[in-house]
Amino acid sequence: MAGTFGSINATASALRYHQAVMEVASGNIANVATDGYARRRVVGEAVGAPAQPAMWSRFDGHGDGVRVGSVDRLVDPLLDSRARREHGTQSFLDTRAAALARVESSLGEPAGEGVSSALADVRRAWQDLANNPDSAATRTQVIATSRTLVDAVAGQRRNIEAEEGDQRASLLADVGETNTLAHDLAAANEAITAARLAGNDTSSLLDSRDQMALRLAELTGGTAVENGQGGLDVTVGGVALVTGGKAGTLSVASGVNPDGTSDGQPLGLAVTPPGGTATAVTGLRGEVGGTADLLGGTLPALRAGLEAVAQQVADTVNAAHQAGFDRTGAAGQPFFAVDPSAPGGPLVLLVTDPAQVAASAIGGGPNRDGSNGNAIAAALAGPTSSYQQFVTGLGNDVASVRRLAATQQNLTDQVDGARDQLSGVNIDEEMVTMMQSQRAYEAAARVMTTLDSVLDTLINRTGLVR
Amino acid sequence: MPINRVTQSMLTDRSLTRLQGSLSRLADIQEHLSTGRVLNRASDNPGDAATAMRLRASLGEQQQYARNAEDGQGWLASLDSTLGSANDMVRRARELGQQAVNGAMSQQSRDALAAEVDQLRAALVSGANTTYVGRPVFGGTTAGSAAFTESAGVVTFTGDTNPVNRSVADGVVVDVSVAGPAAFGADGDNVFDHLSALSTALRAGDVTAVKAGITTLTSDSDRLVVARAEVGARTNRVDLAVTRAGDLETSLTNALAEIENADLPKTMVDLKMQEVAYQASLAATARVLQPSLVDFLR
Repeated sequence: MAGTFGSINATASALRYHQAVMEVASGNIANVATDGYARRRVVGEAVGAPAQPAMWSRFDGHGDGVRVGSVDRLVDPLLDSRARREHGTQSFLDTRAAALARVESSLGEPAGEGVSSALADVRRAWQDLANNPDSAATRTQVIATSRTLVDAVAGQRRNIEAEEGDQRASLLADVGETNTLAHDLAAANEAITAARLAGNDTSSLLDSRDQMALRLAELTGGTAVENGQGGLDVTVGGVALVTGGKAGTLSVASGVNPDGTSDGQPLGLAVTPPGGTATAVTGLRGEVGGTADLLGGTLPALRAGLEAVAQQVADTVNAAHQAGFDRTGAAGQPFFAVDPSAPGGPLVLLVTDPAQVAASAIGGGPNRDGSNGNAIAAALAGPTSSYQQFVTGLGNDVASVRRLAATQQNLTDQVDGARDQLSGVNIDEEMVTMMQSQRAYEAAARVMTTLDSVLDTLINRTGLVR
Repeated sequence: MPINRVTQSMLTDRSLTRLQGSLSRLADIQEHLSTGRVLNRASDNPGDAATAMRLRASLGEQQQYARNAEDGQGWLASLDSTLGSANDMVRRARELGQQAVNGAMSQQSRDALAAEVDQLRAALVSGANTTYVGRPVFGGTTAGSAAFTESAGVVTFTGDTNPVNRSVADGVVVDVSVAGPAAFGADGDNVFDHLSALSTALRAGDVTAVKAGITTLTSDSDRLVVARAEVGARTNRVDLAVTRAGDLETSLTNALAEIENADLPKTMVDLKMQEVAYQASLAATARVLQPSLVDFLR
């Protein structure tokens, strides 16, 4: 049997409970656009008979009101971990796609003033020389167009090198961000453990924990698992980067100097686990993985491809040029050299005197034969087609990585959508909750009024006869 | 993916993504329209880009073949006219010899004929040294300025007999020169010697020698005719090459345009369609983001 004020207590619990519901709903509404915010839901619990009544006692109440059972943070750890994986792959592909697209557009092919147009001009100049081998103008033209070709090849090499430089700088920035985040995540892990022990609400800490883990995955493709104390342990490339409240470091072991220049070594990354020693890691995803992939393979391969074309140009032209004879009838000199370390390299023009251009196929003295010009023009067909293959290969790579990134975007969007479906705030829903609680609050207040009036009748009117 | 719950951020995110997609398609079409090309970088269509680069290289080649052939036409035309007039002169010399043989003629008249033969010979020597852009056309690849030099009344070939080749098509090389001896005879037995001999015979009144001279000049004339016919045949080849290079240039340009260039009417229609789609998604976004339950609660 409830006491006199039993109902008042139950009503008071209703007022408290619905205030809490409205508070949480208003918190949800306030954070409708907050990144990484997972909505909360108040789980109410009817206060009733004790689960284990005292011996020989009897519970004769009908419900003693309501209380806040818990405030749930609506997240799915499985979805979170999928999101981290897909975001890691997405930023890996996006980094590669953006860099390759920049290199590609700097080529200026297929129709721009790039290497292929320079090669075509050189071939034309040799043919014109063949038609008119004793003209100083056509000889000079051969040298001038060859110089343009040298400049065009050097320009493309510079573009690739500039991209490598940018990638090195961005790698250092990403590594720095990773280490700061790892440190912050470790601190958040510690705070979560402490808050749990103190019985405080950890929702906001968990929000920022999840966001940091997601960003770490975007940076490195690292995986995270809950450590049983509310924290997330992060592993990068199979090596622990964050363990509970302790953070390790990601570092560039070789390949990049601290000032962003290349040290000439192949790129190497290492993770030092908390309290451990640096361990080399490979196969990272995320932005760091994408950059490492570009610096460790793709961009050097492009540079080597361009160098191979330059080498082929030099070899074919030299062979043909040395088989010919210059204006005085002397045998032709090597025309090009390949020197990747030359400031204007890799292709270097060796013949600069128009008289030394070996247009003639007939030696022994000065003559007006131009057939070696034709031979050189014809020999340039080989390098021209190699260069076309180089451009098409790059185009294929760019198209492929762009397709992969677009496909991955669908997947990433899908996972993000699934997370948002669960964790996102819907204003209508919150409004319904608010209204429901508002009405419940009003009703509870009315119950309170009724109880007050009932007691008033009992206290003040009992015994009075009108 | 069944949608169980829709949130405001899902709506905004999706609307933004779709607007972005729509806008980027508009940007693509805008690029096609403003550049007039659908192939702006190799990755737009790697296969087509490879073809386009090959076509562009072939186009450059054909243009160069046409230039080479036109240069060859100049050589051959100057050879043709030179050989033509050389043959006329040889024929005239033969006529003069014939006159001396046929009619009863005074030595004075024969001397006059001999003088004309000398004139013809001088003209023929100068014809044999005809140049095209500064090069003697009968001199092969000689570095000198004359194909034939006259010294002490003897004309000798001072050029070389190397061909002057022009590439006029893929793998087709045409020699656009005629070696001096092939047209005018070998040193010591050339048309100039024969004309000198005729002139000497006329001056000497030696009818037998004049007759012999006429015979040798006939074979000289034959040689010139053969050389000219050969030049004509090569001119035909070169002319044909010019035409073919032109035709190929046209068809390559067309093929290139087909691959690279934007189809204007189609692109305009696409642009209009994308504009409509963009406006629709803008309108949809405006409508979907506007309302919420808040608007309908008192």
